[in-house]
Amino acid sequence: MSDNERELELELHRVLDPLTAMPIPPREGRLARGAVRTVLGGAGAAVALKLMTGVAVAAAAVTVAGAATTGSINPLDWGQQVSQHGQAVASDARHHGNGNGNGNGNGNTNGNGSSNAHGNNGNANDHAKDKNKGHTPPTKGDPPSDPEPTDPAIHPTVTVSPQP
Amino acid sequence: MQSIDEPAADPPRPESYEPGSEADFERLYRNTYRRILGTLITIVRDRAVAEDCAQETYERAFRSWSRWRPDAPAEAWLHRIAINVAISDRRRERLRQAGEVIRRLGRPAAGSDPSLAAERSDLLRAMKKLPPKQAAALVLRHYHGYSNREIATALGVPEQTVASRLAAARKQLQAVLGR
Repeated sequence: MSDNERELELELHRVLDPLTAMPIPPREGRLARGAVRTVLGGAGAAVALKLMTGVAVAAAAVTVAGAATTGSINPLDWGQQVSQHGQAVASDARHHGNGNGNGNGNGNTNGNGSSNAHGNNGNANDHAKDKNKGHTPPTKGDPPSDPEPTDPAIHPTVTVSPQP
Repeated sequence: MQSIDEPAADPPRPESYEPGSEADFERLYRNTYRRILGTLITIVRDRAVAEDCAQETYERAFRSWSRWRPDAPAEAWLHRIAINVAISDRRRERLRQAGEVIRRLGRPAAGSDPSLAAERSDLLRAMKKLPPKQAAALVLRHYHGYSNREIATALGVPEQTVASRLAAARKQLQAVLGR
C-alpha cells in the first residue's frame, strides 16, 4: 500500500468515525413510512391529486349551478326551489286538465294533470291534447272555467322529482 | 508467537442470517448500520441525508429480505442497495437545492458540533464530487477494508472495473486535494 493510500485511510477514519459514532437509531417502521410515501409520493400521489381535483371541480360546478339557479348557496334552498317549482307545475297541470275536462264533458284528464305534478316533463299537457283528438272540440260559446296555460315551454325543463 | 504446529486460527466468520427472519434482520441492522452510514456520508450531501438514505436502504432490503440468498455477505448486499439509494438521491439533489436555499434563509449559523466540522473536511467535500460509484469503491476499499473482489461482489461488477474506478477516484482526489 502506498503512502498516499495509507494517508487516505487515516483521513477517512478521522473524518468518518465521529460521524458514524452516534447511537444507532431504531429502524423506521416499514408500514408507517411506506404508507406515508405511498400517499405523499410517486404515482399514488399523482392519482390522489387528480381525484381530489376532480371532486373539487365537480363540487364547485354543482354549487355554482345551484346558486345561479336559486340565488342561494344553501343546498337546502335548492331542494326547496325545485319542490316549489314542481308544485307550480302540478298546479298548472291540474288547471289544464280540469279545463279540458270541463270542455270535453269528461274528467279523465285530471289524472294526466296529476302525473305532470310529479315532474314528467309536461306529458300531462301532451296527453291532454292527445285525448282531445276524437272528441268534440269545446263549444266556442262556452267560457272555459280556467284559462289554458299560457306558455307550456316554461315548465318542461324541470327534470328533478321534488323531494320534500 | 504462534507455534508452527498449532493450527491457524480461523478468520472470524461473517454473521449468519436467516432470510425472511425479522429478528435476524434487526440484528443485521444493528451490526451494519454504522458502516452503511459511513459509506453513504461520502456519497450524499450531508449526514442527515445519509441517515435518510440509510433508513431507505434498510426499508428496501427488508422488502426483499425473504428473497435474499446467503451466498454473498449480507453487508455487501446492503452496500449495493445503499449505493443505488445514494445515486438516486444525488439525482434528486439538484431539485432539492433550490428549496434548501430558501429554508436556510434567516437561520443562525451552524454551531461547533465536531461532526459538522468533520463534514466540512476537504476530503469529504472532494469525495462528494466524485461519481457515486467511484466514491463507493474508495470508501469500501479504504474505510471498510474490503478487497477488490469483495467490492466487485458488493457492486455487482467485474474486479477490473473496481480497480479502474479506484484508480480514477484516487487520481481525481489527488488533483483536488493537491496530494
